[in-house]
Amino acid sequence: MYQSSAPLRRFLLPLLTAAVAVLVSTSVFASDRLQAMSIPSTRATETLLLDITLAGDRVVTAGDHGVILYSDDQGRHWQQADVPFSVMLTALDFTSSQQGWAAGHDGLLARTDNGGESWLSVMNGDDINQLRLARLEQLYAQMEVQVDAQPDNDELLDQLDTLSFQLEDAQIAVEDGPAIPLLDIWFADAQTGYVLGGYGLLLRTVDGGQSWQYWGDRLPNPDSFHLNSMTRDHQGTLYIAGEAGQIFRSVDQGISWELLDSPYDGSFFAVVSQQDQLYLLGLRGHLFNSANGIDWQQVGIDTDKTLTAAVPLTREMLLLGQGGVLLTGSEDSFRVVDSGVRRSFSAGVAIGKQWLLVGERGITQLSAEQQEAGRE
Amino acid sequence: MNKLFQLLLTPIKASEEFAERFLFHRRLLVLFLFGLLTILLGWQATQIRPDASFVKMIPTSHPYVENYLYHRDDLAGLGNSVRVAVAARDGDIFTAEYQATLQQITDELFFIPGVDRSALKSIWTPNVRWTEVTEEGFVGGPVIPAEYDGSAESLEQVRTNVLRSGQVGILVANDFRSAIVQVPLFDKHPDTGEKLNYQALSEQLEQLIRDKYETDSISIHITGFAKVVGDLISGAAQVAIFFGIALLVTLVLLFLYSRSITGTLVPLACSVVAVIWQLGLLRLLGYGLDPYSMLVPFLVFAIAVSHGVQIVNTIALESAHGADRWLAARRAFRALYIPGLTALLSDGIGFVTLMVIEIRVIQDLAVAASLGVAVIILTNLFLLPVIMSLVGIGKTATERARRAEQKSHSHWELLTWFARPKGALVAVATASVLLAIGLQQGQKLQIGDLDTGAPELRPDSRYNLDNAFITGNYTTSSDIFVVMVETEAEQCSSFTTLSQVDRFQHYLTNIAGVQSSISLADVSKRVTAGLNEGNLKWRSVNRNQLVINASLSYVPAGLMNASCSLLPVIIFLDDHKAETLQGVTAAVADFAAEYDSDAIRFQMAAGNSGFEAATNEVIATAQYQMLAWVYGVVGLLCLLTFRSLKTLICIITPLALTSVLCQALMANLGIGVKVATLPVIALGVGIGVDYGIYIYSKLNTYLVQGMPLTQAYLNTLKTTGKSVAFTGLTLAIGVVLWVFSPIKFQADMGILLTFMFLWNMLGALLLLPALACLLKCAGHKQQEKRDAEAVKEMHDAV
Repeated sequence: MYQSSAPLRRFLLPLLTAAVAVLVSTSVFASDRLQAMSIPSTRATETLLLDITLAGDRVVTAGDHGVILYSDDQGRHWQQADVPFSVMLTALDFTSSQQGWAAGHDGLLARTDNGGESWLSVMNGDDINQLRLARLEQLYAQMEVQVDAQPDNDELLDQLDTLSFQLEDAQIAVEDGPAIPLLDIWFADAQTGYVLGGYGLLLRTVDGGQSWQYWGDRLPNPDSFHLNSMTRDHQGTLYIAGEAGQIFRSVDQGISWELLDSPYDGSFFAVVSQQDQLYLLGLRGHLFNSANGIDWQQVGIDTDKTLTAAVPLTREMLLLGQGGVLLTGSEDSFRVVDSGVRRSFSAGVAIGKQWLLVGERGITQLSAEQQEAGRE
Repeated sequence: MNKLFQLLLTPIKASEEFAERFLFHRRLLVLFLFGLLTILLGWQATQIRPDASFVKMIPTSHPYVENYLYHRDDLAGLGNSVRVAVAARDGDIFTAEYQATLQQITDELFFIPGVDRSALKSIWTPNVRWTEVTEEGFVGGPVIPAEYDGSAESLEQVRTNVLRSGQVGILVANDFRSAIVQVPLFDKHPDTGEKLNYQALSEQLEQLIRDKYETDSISIHITGFAKVVGDLISGAAQVAIFFGIALLVTLVLLFLYSRSITGTLVPLACSVVAVIWQLGLLRLLGYGLDPYSMLVPFLVFAIAVSHGVQIVNTIALESAHGADRWLAARRAFRALYIPGLTALLSDGIGFVTLMVIEIRVIQDLAVAASLGVAVIILTNLFLLPVIMSLVGIGKTATERARRAEQKSHSHWELLTWFARPKGALVAVATASVLLAIGLQQGQKLQIGDLDTGAPELRPDSRYNLDNAFITGNYTTSSDIFVVMVETEAEQCSSFTTLSQVDRFQHYLTNIAGVQSSISLADVSKRVTAGLNEGNLKWRSVNRNQLVINASLSYVPAGLMNASCSLLPVIIFLDDHKAETLQGVTAAVADFAAEYDSDAIRFQMAAGNSGFEAATNEVIATAQYQMLAWVYGVVGLLCLLTFRSLKTLICIITPLALTSVLCQALMANLGIGVKVATLPVIALGVGIGVDYGIYIYSKLNTYLVQGMPLTQAYLNTLKTTGKSVAFTGLTLAIGVVLWVFSPIKFQADMGILLTFMFLWNMLGALLLLPALACLLKCAGHKQQEKRDAEAVKEMHDAV
């Protein structure tokens, strides 16, 4: 049994060839879930699955224990991908039918170049912690220079103070190890993408994932709330929604971010844009919509279940959430659809008249027509 | 070699002379001693108590069970609990009336002795709570709100709380028409140290719960090991009625057979004395009667009667030859002492071989049965002829015996065909075909219990109906396999431990027959998600130990021990078929082999299915061990007695054929090899060998006198054959009634033993002479003749 330890990985691995590195650090017998192969399971379609997405004509879904499944026949048959780690995967995003990304616990970020059939770990929480520390050290150093230049500027001193606290947090995070989970991935195009995570974690790439920058310091998020979801509206404005009613906006392609006045104190799990409308989905049946991202109206719906994700349909939206709750509608009018499922949903896709939903119970297939008929 | 035989046989022969002299010259003293002992042991026998303990039914030296016993205190509540489902016949559980009943039942159960009160669970106990995530964080409370008053509003509150408690499918039925009270039991009371009295508990559940609360609107369903044992004990007590019936039927048959009142009553009385002695001795040695050893008195009675019949039969023959009652009895004693002793010794040793199976109930059964056989030597081989020498066989019986012997033509003559080469060939060929079929069919024989629910009881028994109700309406299976994960102290909740356990549980989903599993890792994952507003994306073991610790601030009982060095993984299975259990144990062993280290060990096994897996493993190996022992010992005894390999083949082959056919029968009736059926083979062989020994020794006597085989065989049939046929019938009657036992395994044993007793009889009557004919056993005449002459000299001396 191979047990990876930090010094070994830092000093020995670079000496070895890449092939050997893959062999040693990725094994069925490895005891750490960042290196242990995901176990192929005959019942993988029943595991807790958290995200589902389209890669060209292919459907790909991912979830607990590093399970990634793909289907080329709209969900009738599933194949389990070759995954060299077994952390819980929380998010998927494909930039083309071949190139895709998966993110998960322990700060794991992985990519595929063959439509999700096999995956390689790109970085994990240790790397992210280092990125974060380096970024904050750099900011701190810059700030120190500024403070040296203007020793009487109280505002700068305050900022330096804040930075020193953040730096301390980052150092503690390094000691804690790769503990922070990633929660969402959102790529604007093949080059530019973001990864969101717990405790205000945000990463950004502008070179198609070749390199990643720590971006969390760009958000006015002093309490380090979790960042849950990201989207772009029809005017190109970016939004990030998170814990405790946090909603951030960027009008300059993600360079700078502002905190918006929130219509709600509870958490938002998804921010979604469809046509000219924006929606915020939150805790205990809280649903808001807005045409401009500034003025939000609560949409009255007939459930107090937490809403977790939205699936754009042709004209309407399908909202899904805990306890198997499903709603369809648009703008300020949504109605509950009985899915017959009582376990929570986490994500879904619509393929033609078919809905593929994933969650606590694995994959659930529903026919949109049946649901319509059931309603009448 | 001959010297060895001499060495072994001389003491037996010497003992015969001594015993004979003592018995027949001190008859009144003998009677007085036997009478005294019978009174003493009879008084003891009345004190014997039903006894069944959980640990006795499992193989305590199997590593799984050793692991369980080592962690037993930490696993309290897992091994042994009772579930009481309270069902509303109409409507659902959300009525004031129903809730009042459920509350009363919960209270009532709380006060039953042996109940682990702190771990008692129902929606009415404060340890069952609901939790919910709100904007402010976690909120929660007991399912029954403090302000509950039975009003429509508070019932609505209960409904809401039940839904958010996560107890649907666990404590509340999926259809909301029933709810469960989960009652963990102490095996040994922690304060008084008293052993749990299963029978008393089961009776209390019946009286205090079922009888009291079952009405037109409420039905009660009770399951759990304690209830199974309780039902077993009360069911087993019913076999006492069967004993009475067997006694009566035997009485009638004995009279029809012997036409002598003394020849009926004396063997019957001696056999009852044997049973009394056996029970009294068991009690003296500190044993109780469990549902398995409860059947031993039947066997003892039947074996005793069959030996009694042999003696009475011989006495009648001797009387027919003109001997008076004293001489007739004495000659019968002399003629039957050695074959009788050999037969009984092989019975006894056949039973003793059961000791190789390291399951207490089987070992106790072995003790009880060998004790019984030892007692028969005294009561029926010694006491019976002495009594007969006093009372005599009677004129009618003597006359009958004379006529029977002198009758030149008899229906037995038909059977002599089997002792001629042609018939012998047919018989042996038929046997070979049967053997082949038996071997082929026997391939399907399975280890373990094959039925669902409690396989000890009948599928349509109260208990199994209750069990079907609970498995049908709740999500948790009643087949539970527990893997004990050992860690260093205080490490049971470390990230490394929990993530390994989490991986293990995911690995298990791959194993056929595994429904689901639960462990401390699940608690941590669920609460971590809960602390993050129920977000499924957080339902993972968090790498940050502080997050884990926060998630485990409240842990339900039984998922970790006090020193945090043990966390059980509770695995729910589809069924407890041997194949399923093998798959699970193999998979767990594979995982353990890869992942066990100094820090973490995956140890099997507890839970009813865990014990069953251990039992199956023990039985699978013991099965062949036991066969080897029983055949080895019986074979050796035959060899010692007859000093001929051919004779050995003649006697053992019919037995082996029966054993093979018995296995084929089991396979076809869907009876698995299990604790209850394993002893059957040993019992069948041990008892079956008697026939062969009696038949062959008689046959040999005639052969030695120079008779041709067919003639010798006919004479044997007319004398011993008759009694052997009768014996087979008696034995079969003794056990066939078990088929009606409310206990499934007793019924299984009844079927199999009846089959074995009858087939062994047929084998001894038909196949044995056929084999003797083909093997030309008569060729050994010379040496036998010398022996016979010696015996004859002795006879003449008397």
